[in-house]
Amino acid sequence: MLRRRQVLAASATTLPLLLALDACVGPDPLSGPPPLSRDVRVLFAAIAAEGNLVHAYKRTLAAYSTLAPALTPLLAEHEAHLAQLRARVAEPPGGSPAVTASLASPGGSGGSGGSGAAGRAIPAIPGTRAAAVALLRDAEQAASAAQLRRLATVSGPLAQLFASIAASETTHVTVLDDRRLA
Amino acid sequence: MRPAVGPASAGRAPVAALQAALAAEHAAIYGYGVAGAQLTAAARAAALRDWTLHQNARDTLTAMIASLGATPVAASAAYELPFAVHDARSARALAADMEDGVTRAYLALVALPDTSLRTFGALAMQPPAERAAYWRGTTTAFPGFPRGAFAHE
Repeated sequence: MLRRRQVLAASATTLPLLLALDACVGPDPLSGPPPLSRDVRVLFAAIAAEGNLVHAYKRTLAAYSTLAPALTPLLAEHEAHLAQLRARVAEPPGGSPAVTASLASPGGSGGSGGSGAAGRAIPAIPGTRAAAVALLRDAEQAASAAQLRRLATVSGPLAQLFASIAASETTHVTVLDDRRLA
Repeated sequence: MRPAVGPASAGRAPVAALQAALAAEHAAIYGYGVAGAQLTAAARAAALRDWTLHQNARDTLTAMIASLGATPVAASAAYELPFAVHDARSARALAADMEDGVTRAYLALVALPDTSLRTFGALAMQPPAERAAYWRGTTTAFPGFPRGAFAHE
Protein backbone atom coordinates (compact mmCIF):
# COMPACT_ATOMS: atom_id res chain seq x y z
CA MET A 1 0.00 0.00 0.00
CA LEU A 2 1.39 3.36 -1.00
CA ARG A 3 1.71 6.09 1.46
CA ARG A 4 0.28 9.52 0.66
CA ARG A 5 3.80 11.00 0.45
CA GLN A 6 4.84 8.35 -2.14
CA VAL A 7 1.78 9.05 -4.28
CA LEU A 8 2.44 12.78 -4.28
CA ALA A 9 6.11 12.21 -5.15
CA ALA A 10 5.16 9.88 -7.99
CA SER A 11 2.64 12.39 -9.35
CA ALA A 12 5.26 15.10 -9.41
CA THR A 13 7.46 13.04 -11.74
CA THR A 14 4.94 11.18 -13.87
CA LEU A 15 2.34 13.86 -14.50
CA PRO A 16 4.56 15.96 -16.76
CA LEU A 17 5.51 12.78 -18.65
CA LEU A 18 1.87 11.81 -19.14
CA LEU A 19 1.01 15.33 -20.31
CA ALA A 20 3.92 15.28 -22.75
CA LEU A 21 2.88 11.90 -24.14
CA ASP A 22 -0.66 13.16 -24.56
CA ALA A 23 0.62 16.15 -26.53
CA CYS A 24 2.52 13.95 -29.02
CA VAL A 25 0.95 13.76 -32.45
CA GLY A 26 1.59 10.30 -33.79
CA PRO A 27 -0.19 7.78 -35.97
CA ASP A 28 -3.48 6.67 -34.52
CA PRO A 29 -3.52 2.85 -34.75
CA LEU A 30 -7.30 2.89 -35.00
CA SER A 31 -7.46 5.25 -37.99
CA GLY A 32 -5.78 2.89 -40.49
CA PRO A 33 -2.59 3.50 -42.50
CA PRO A 34 -1.55 7.13 -43.10
CA PRO A 35 -2.43 8.57 -46.52
CA LEU A 36 0.20 8.13 -49.21
CA SER A 37 2.18 11.23 -50.15
CA ARG A 38 1.76 12.64 -53.64
CA ASP A 39 5.25 11.43 -54.59
CA VAL A 40 4.44 7.88 -53.53
CA ARG A 41 1.11 7.81 -55.35
CA VAL A 42 2.77 9.07 -58.55
CA LEU A 43 5.60 6.57 -58.06
CA PHE A 44 3.14 3.68 -57.91
CA ALA A 45 1.67 4.80 -61.24
CA ALA A 46 5.15 5.11 -62.77
CA ILE A 47 6.13 1.66 -61.44
CA ALA A 48 2.98 0.18 -62.97
CA ALA A 49 3.67 1.77 -66.36
CA GLU A 50 7.31 0.68 -66.35
CA GLY A 51 6.34 -2.82 -65.24
CA ASN A 52 3.96 -3.07 -68.16
CA LEU A 53 6.70 -2.00 -70.58
CA VAL A 54 9.05 -4.67 -69.21
CA HIS A 55 6.26 -7.21 -69.56
CA ALA A 56 5.55 -6.10 -73.15
CA TYR A 57 9.22 -6.44 -74.14
CA LYS A 58 9.45 -9.91 -72.62
CA ARG A 59 6.33 -11.09 -74.40
CA THR A 60 7.56 -9.66 -77.70
CA LEU A 61 10.96 -11.32 -77.29
CA ALA A 62 9.28 -14.62 -76.49
CA ALA A 63 7.27 -14.38 -79.72
CA TYR A 64 10.03 -12.98 -81.96
CA SER A 65 13.43 -14.16 -80.77
CA THR A 66 15.15 -12.67 -83.83
CA LEU A 67 14.49 -9.23 -82.33
CA ALA A 68 16.72 -10.05 -79.35
CA PRO A 69 19.81 -8.11 -80.51
CA ALA A 70 17.78 -4.90 -80.80
CA LEU A 71 15.33 -5.34 -77.95
CA THR A 72 17.46 -6.87 -75.20
CA PRO A 73 19.43 -3.66 -74.46
CA LEU A 74 16.20 -1.65 -74.35
CA LEU A 75 14.62 -4.20 -72.01
CA ALA A 76 17.67 -3.96 -69.74
CA GLU A 77 17.24 -0.19 -69.55
CA HIS A 78 13.57 -0.55 -68.64
CA GLU A 79 14.52 -3.00 -65.92
CA ALA A 80 16.99 -0.39 -64.62
CA HIS A 81 14.21 2.22 -64.68
CA LEU A 82 11.92 -0.09 -62.77
CA ALA A 83 14.60 -0.84 -60.17
CA GLN A 84 15.23 2.87 -59.60
CA LEU A 85 11.55 3.66 -59.26
CA ARG A 86 11.01 0.78 -56.86
CA ALA A 87 14.04 1.81 -54.81
CA ARG A 88 12.23 5.04 -53.96
CA VAL A 89 9.21 3.44 -52.37
CA ALA A 90 8.72 0.58 -49.94
CA GLU A 91 6.34 -1.72 -51.77
CA PRO A 92 4.06 -4.09 -49.92
CA PRO A 93 4.85 -7.83 -50.31
CA GLY A 94 3.86 -9.02 -53.78
CA GLY A 95 4.51 -5.71 -55.50
CA SER A 96 2.71 -2.39 -55.56
CA PRO A 97 -1.10 -2.50 -55.78
CA ALA A 98 -0.98 -0.60 -59.05
CA VAL A 99 1.43 -3.04 -60.69
CA THR A 100 -0.31 -6.19 -59.58
CA ALA A 101 -3.74 -4.86 -60.56
CA SER A 102 -2.48 -3.69 -63.91
CA LEU A 103 -0.71 -6.92 -64.81
CA ALA A 104 -3.36 -9.25 -63.47
CA SER A 105 -6.37 -7.69 -65.12
CA PRO A 106 -6.64 -6.97 -68.86
CA GLY A 107 -8.58 -3.86 -68.01
CA GLY A 108 -6.22 -2.69 -65.26
CA SER A 109 -5.76 1.04 -65.28
CA GLY A 110 -2.25 1.02 -63.88
CA GLY A 111 -3.22 3.31 -61.04
CA SER A 112 -3.63 7.05 -60.81
CA GLY A 113 -1.14 9.66 -61.84
CA GLY A 114 -1.39 9.63 -65.60
CA SER A 115 0.32 6.41 -66.55
CA GLY A 116 -1.03 6.79 -70.07
CA ALA A 117 -1.24 4.03 -72.64
CA ALA A 118 1.68 2.18 -71.06
CA GLY A 119 -0.44 1.54 -67.98
CA ARG A 120 -3.59 0.37 -69.77
CA ALA A 121 -4.68 -3.07 -70.87
CA ILE A 122 -1.95 -5.23 -72.36
CA PRO A 123 -2.86 -6.03 -75.97
CA ALA A 124 -2.14 -9.32 -77.65
CA ILE A 125 1.20 -9.73 -79.40
CA PRO A 126 0.66 -8.76 -83.08
CA GLY A 127 0.94 -11.41 -85.76
CA THR A 128 3.88 -9.84 -87.55
CA ARG A 129 7.32 -8.73 -86.39
CA ALA A 130 6.81 -5.24 -87.83
CA ALA A 131 3.51 -4.78 -86.02
CA ALA A 132 5.06 -6.01 -82.77
CA VAL A 133 7.86 -3.45 -83.07
CA ALA A 134 5.33 -0.72 -83.89
CA LEU A 135 3.33 -1.60 -80.78
CA LEU A 136 6.43 -1.29 -78.59
CA ARG A 137 7.28 1.99 -80.27
CA ASP A 138 3.83 3.40 -79.50
CA ALA A 139 4.09 2.17 -75.91
CA GLU A 140 7.47 3.90 -75.51
CA GLN A 141 6.09 7.14 -76.90
CA ALA A 142 3.07 7.03 -74.59
CA ALA A 143 5.25 6.17 -71.60
CA SER A 144 7.58 9.09 -72.29
CA ALA A 145 4.64 11.50 -72.53
CA ALA A 146 3.20 10.13 -69.28
CA GLN A 147 6.51 10.73 -67.49
CA LEU A 148 6.35 14.39 -68.49
CA ARG A 149 2.82 14.72 -67.13
CA ARG A 150 4.12 13.58 -63.74
CA LEU A 151 6.70 16.36 -63.41
CA ALA A 152 4.57 19.17 -62.04
CA THR A 153 3.48 17.68 -58.75
CA VAL A 154 6.51 15.78 -57.48
CA SER A 155 9.73 16.75 -55.70
CA GLY A 156 12.68 18.02 -57.73
CA PRO A 157 14.84 14.87 -57.53
CA LEU A 158 11.90 12.64 -58.50
CA ALA A 159 11.02 14.99 -61.37
CA GLN A 160 14.60 14.62 -62.63
CA LEU A 161 14.31 10.83 -62.54
CA PHE A 162 11.04 10.96 -64.50
CA ALA A 163 12.56 13.39 -67.03
CA SER A 164 15.60 11.17 -67.51
CA ILE A 165 13.45 8.07 -68.01
CA ALA A 166 11.29 10.04 -70.48
CA ALA A 167 14.41 10.97 -72.44
CA SER A 168 15.57 7.35 -72.39
CA GLU A 169 12.21 6.23 -73.75
CA THR A 170 12.46 8.83 -76.50
CA THR A 171 15.79 7.31 -77.57
CA HIS A 172 14.06 3.91 -77.63
CA VAL A 173 11.44 5.29 -80.02
CA THR A 174 14.24 6.24 -82.40
CA VAL A 175 15.74 2.74 -82.16
CA LEU A 176 12.36 1.13 -82.82
CA ASP A 177 11.78 3.43 -85.81
CA ASP A 178 14.64 1.71 -87.60
CA ARG A 179 13.11 0.05 -90.65
CA ARG A 180 15.62 -2.79 -90.47
CA LEU A 181 13.71 -4.09 -87.46
CA ALA A 182 10.55 -4.62 -89.50
CA MET B 1 10.07 25.63 -77.73
CA ARG B 2 10.31 28.36 -75.16
CA PRO B 3 8.25 28.80 -72.00
CA ALA B 4 6.86 32.15 -70.97
CA VAL B 5 9.17 33.13 -68.15
CA GLY B 6 7.46 35.31 -65.59
CA PRO B 7 7.76 36.25 -61.93
CA ALA B 8 7.74 32.59 -60.86
CA SER B 9 10.96 32.08 -62.81
CA ALA B 10 12.67 35.08 -61.28
CA GLY B 11 15.49 34.41 -58.84
CA ARG B 12 19.05 33.24 -58.86
CA ALA B 13 18.50 29.50 -59.27
CA PRO B 14 16.50 29.62 -62.54
CA VAL B 15 18.87 32.16 -64.09
CA ALA B 16 21.94 30.19 -62.99
CA ALA B 17 20.49 26.96 -64.42
CA LEU B 18 19.59 28.66 -67.70
CA GLN B 19 23.07 30.20 -67.89
CA ALA B 20 24.62 26.77 -67.34
CA ALA B 21 22.50 25.36 -70.17
CA LEU B 22 23.56 28.24 -72.41
CA ALA B 23 27.22 27.64 -71.55
CA ALA B 24 26.76 23.96 -72.47
CA GLU B 25 25.22 24.95 -75.81
CA HIS B 26 28.16 27.30 -76.50
CA ALA B 27 30.57 24.46 -75.75
CA ALA B 28 28.65 22.07 -78.02
CA ILE B 29 28.71 24.56 -80.90
CA TYR B 30 32.48 24.84 -80.50
CA GLY B 31 32.86 21.08 -80.13
CA TYR B 32 30.98 20.31 -83.34
CA GLY B 33 33.31 22.68 -85.15
CA VAL B 34 36.26 20.59 -83.97
CA ALA B 35 34.57 17.23 -84.57
CA GLY B 36 33.27 18.16 -88.02
CA ALA B 37 36.80 18.55 -89.36
CA GLN B 38 37.56 14.88 -88.58
CA LEU B 39 34.33 13.27 -89.73
CA THR B 40 33.54 11.59 -93.04
CA ALA B 41 31.21 13.37 -95.46
CA ALA B 42 28.03 11.62 -94.34
CA ALA B 43 28.79 12.07 -90.65
CA ARG B 44 29.81 15.67 -91.29
CA ALA B 45 26.34 16.36 -92.70
CA ALA B 46 24.83 14.98 -89.48
CA ALA B 47 27.23 17.10 -87.44
CA LEU B 48 26.24 20.18 -89.41
CA ARG B 49 22.57 19.42 -88.73
CA ASP B 50 23.28 19.07 -85.00
CA TRP B 51 25.46 22.18 -84.95
CA THR B 52 22.52 24.17 -86.37
CA LEU B 53 20.15 22.73 -83.76
CA HIS B 54 22.52 23.83 -80.99
CA GLN B 55 22.63 27.33 -82.44
CA ASN B 56 18.83 27.46 -82.36
CA ALA B 57 18.83 26.25 -78.74
CA ARG B 58 21.45 28.85 -77.87
CA ASP B 59 19.24 31.60 -79.30
CA THR B 60 16.23 30.34 -77.32
CA LEU B 61 18.17 30.32 -74.05
CA THR B 62 19.67 33.73 -74.75
CA ALA B 63 16.20 35.22 -75.18
CA MET B 64 14.91 33.51 -72.01
CA ILE B 65 17.79 34.77 -69.89
CA ALA B 66 17.46 38.30 -71.27
CA SER B 67 13.74 38.29 -70.52
CA LEU B 68 14.61 37.62 -66.87
CA GLY B 69 16.76 40.76 -66.81
CA ALA B 70 20.11 38.95 -66.81
CA THR B 71 22.97 39.15 -69.27
CA PRO B 72 23.38 35.88 -71.18
CA VAL B 73 26.76 34.27 -70.68
CA ALA B 74 29.01 34.73 -73.71
CA ALA B 75 30.81 31.96 -75.58
CA SER B 76 34.48 31.46 -74.84
CA ALA B 77 37.00 31.95 -77.63
CA ALA B 78 38.17 28.36 -77.13
CA TYR B 79 37.32 25.37 -74.95
CA GLU B 80 39.52 22.71 -73.43
CA LEU B 81 38.51 19.41 -75.01
CA PRO B 82 37.99 16.39 -72.73
CA PHE B 83 40.36 14.34 -74.93
CA ALA B 84 42.37 14.68 -78.11
CA VAL B 85 40.35 14.59 -81.32
CA HIS B 86 42.45 13.26 -84.18
CA ASP B 87 40.23 10.91 -86.17
CA ALA B 88 36.58 10.08 -86.94
CA ARG B 89 36.23 7.82 -83.93
CA SER B 90 37.37 10.41 -81.42
CA ALA B 91 35.28 13.03 -83.24
CA ARG B 92 32.14 10.95 -82.73
CA ALA B 93 33.09 10.44 -79.09
CA LEU B 94 33.47 14.19 -78.68
CA ALA B 95 30.03 14.80 -80.22
CA ALA B 96 28.50 12.29 -77.80
CA ASP B 97 30.34 13.86 -74.88
CA MET B 98 29.11 17.34 -75.82
CA GLU B 99 25.55 16.09 -76.10
CA ASP B 100 25.86 14.47 -72.66
CA GLY B 101 26.92 17.84 -71.25
CA VAL B 102 23.94 19.61 -72.79
CA THR B 103 21.55 16.88 -71.60
CA ARG B 104 22.93 17.20 -68.07
CA ALA B 105 22.51 20.98 -68.09
CA TYR B 106 18.86 20.77 -69.13
CA LEU B 107 18.20 18.08 -66.51
CA ALA B 108 19.28 20.59 -63.84
CA LEU B 109 16.35 22.80 -64.87
CA VAL B 110 13.94 19.97 -64.04
CA ALA B 111 14.83 20.20 -60.33
CA LEU B 112 13.54 23.78 -60.12
CA PRO B 113 10.13 24.42 -58.55
CA ASP B 114 8.87 26.39 -61.57
CA THR B 115 6.77 23.89 -63.53
CA SER B 116 7.16 25.65 -66.89
CA LEU B 117 10.95 25.48 -66.54
CA ARG B 118 10.71 21.85 -65.45
CA THR B 119 8.77 20.95 -68.57
CA PHE B 120 11.06 23.05 -70.73
CA GLY B 121 14.13 21.30 -69.33
CA ALA B 122 12.58 17.84 -69.69
CA LEU B 123 11.64 18.45 -73.32
CA ALA B 124 14.90 20.22 -74.16
CA MET B 125 17.00 17.31 -72.87
CA GLN B 126 15.39 14.80 -75.23
CA PRO B 127 17.02 15.89 -78.54
CA PRO B 128 20.57 15.94 -77.07
CA ALA B 129 19.92 12.55 -75.44
CA GLU B 130 18.91 11.19 -78.85
CA ARG B 131 21.92 12.76 -80.54
CA ALA B 132 24.25 11.33 -77.87
CA ALA B 133 22.81 7.88 -78.57
CA TYR B 134 23.30 8.45 -82.31
CA TRP B 135 26.96 9.43 -82.00
CA ARG B 136 27.75 6.79 -79.39
CA GLY B 137 25.82 4.05 -81.15
CA THR B 138 24.06 2.93 -77.96
CA THR B 139 21.31 4.21 -75.70
CA THR B 140 21.66 4.76 -71.95
CA ALA B 141 19.17 4.11 -69.16
CA PHE B 142 19.44 7.49 -67.47
CA PRO B 143 20.33 10.34 -69.85
CA GLY B 144 21.53 13.42 -68.01
CA PHE B 145 22.80 11.55 -64.97
CA PRO B 146 26.45 10.57 -64.68
CA ARG B 147 27.14 6.98 -65.69
CA GLY B 148 27.00 4.75 -62.66
CA ALA B 149 24.92 7.28 -60.71
CA PHE B 150 22.53 4.50 -59.75
CA ALA B 151 23.53 1.26 -58.13
CA HIS B 152 21.21 -0.81 -60.33
CA GLU B 153 22.73 0.33 -63.63
